[in-house]
Amino acid sequence: MAPISKPAHKGAASGGAKGSKPTLGSASRVSKKNAPKRPPPQEMKSKPRTMQENLKKKKKRVYTEKELDLPELNAITPVGVVKPKGKKKGKTFVDDQEGMMTILAMVNAEKEGQIESKMMKARQLEEIREAKKKETEARIAEKKNKLENVKDSIRNKKKGKNADKAESTSVSKSAKGKKKSVAFA
Amino acid sequence: MRQLTEEETRTLFSKLAHYTGRSLNNLIAPPTEEGPTGEQHVFRLQGSRVFYMPLKLANLSVSIPRENLLSMGTMIGKFTKTGKFRLALTCLDVISPHARYKVWIKSNGVMPYLYGGNVLKAHVHRWSEDLPEHAGVLVFDDSDNCLGFGVTARSSAEAKKLDPTGIVVFRQADVGEYLREEDSLFTT
Repeated sequence: MAPISKPAHKGAASGGAKGSKPTLGSASRVSKKNAPKRPPPQEMKSKPRTMQENLKKKKKRVYTEKELDLPELNAITPVGVVKPKGKKKGKTFVDDQEGMMTILAMVNAEKEGQIESKMMKARQLEEIREAKKKETEARIAEKKNKLENVKDSIRNKKKGKNADKAESTSVSKSAKGKKKSVAFA
Repeated sequence: MRQLTEEETRTLFSKLAHYTGRSLNNLIAPPTEEGPTGEQHVFRLQGSRVFYMPLKLANLSVSIPRENLLSMGTMIGKFTKTGKFRLALTCLDVISPHARYKVWIKSNGVMPYLYGGNVLKAHVHRWSEDLPEHAGVLVFDDSDNCLGFGVTARSSAEAKKLDPTGIVVFRQADVGEYLREEDSLFTT
């Protein structure tokens, strides 16, 4: 309570001071210029009255502890312990057919939504998996093709060399054969 | 024995809706086509256990002292101390006609399942289309007898890629419990 009341005092005091400043200034000016016409003490009397009135009004606004609805102990209260105000004590039974049907309809709708989302997810995952599989297959096929091409090219190169060699060897062989035949004969 | 509160009703229904579809409404309000035989059924709480019974029976139960009453109607399950709800095996007859997703298992998978095992992919005969992951599912045998319920381990799309020994459904309850848990099934 004390911390609440203190700032109220301060506010009132500061408000009063702020309000008084310009009037004070004006009063001093007035007193300098027209001293006999307007006596300054009268104005000074009116200011404290307003301050007091202000104070009285602020005091009316002070709340009691109950009104603030603060927890009694500054600790966390478990959910089950604090019961909502104005609610009937005890369990609420559901025994009428309509009440049961509404609950069942809600539960069913929820369940079907869950299943639907599950199926959608499964389908999407399956699509992604299929796409990945196709991609990997295509990549493997490409690699194989490349390898085959390289192999073919190497084979062709070898064949080309072999063909040259074979020609030369056949020539030599034929020459040798002739020689041999000649020798045997 | 008392009625359920709003909160309790919501948790119970959300659990039931995990396994059943829209036709769950029939549990509370039986279709009018049935005529006079389709009487209203209600849920009642006794201790932590929830029972499902005709309204007539619930009204009669008032005459029995609370501490003397052990069971009434069909036991659906029980509330845990943290406020969650666990479905019991005995609710199988109540939820099986309203199942949202189903899995049928082959005859060679029935015994492993009834002994408390999970459902393997090799044992699955067929399953409902578009099964999401971790959805409640009811397990049936080839001749459409309900054997229990569980939760899917994989979505149906993922399960197709799974190897035959991979788990498809995690078991939660099976009718084998009637023998295995005979002593503790109805103890309070």
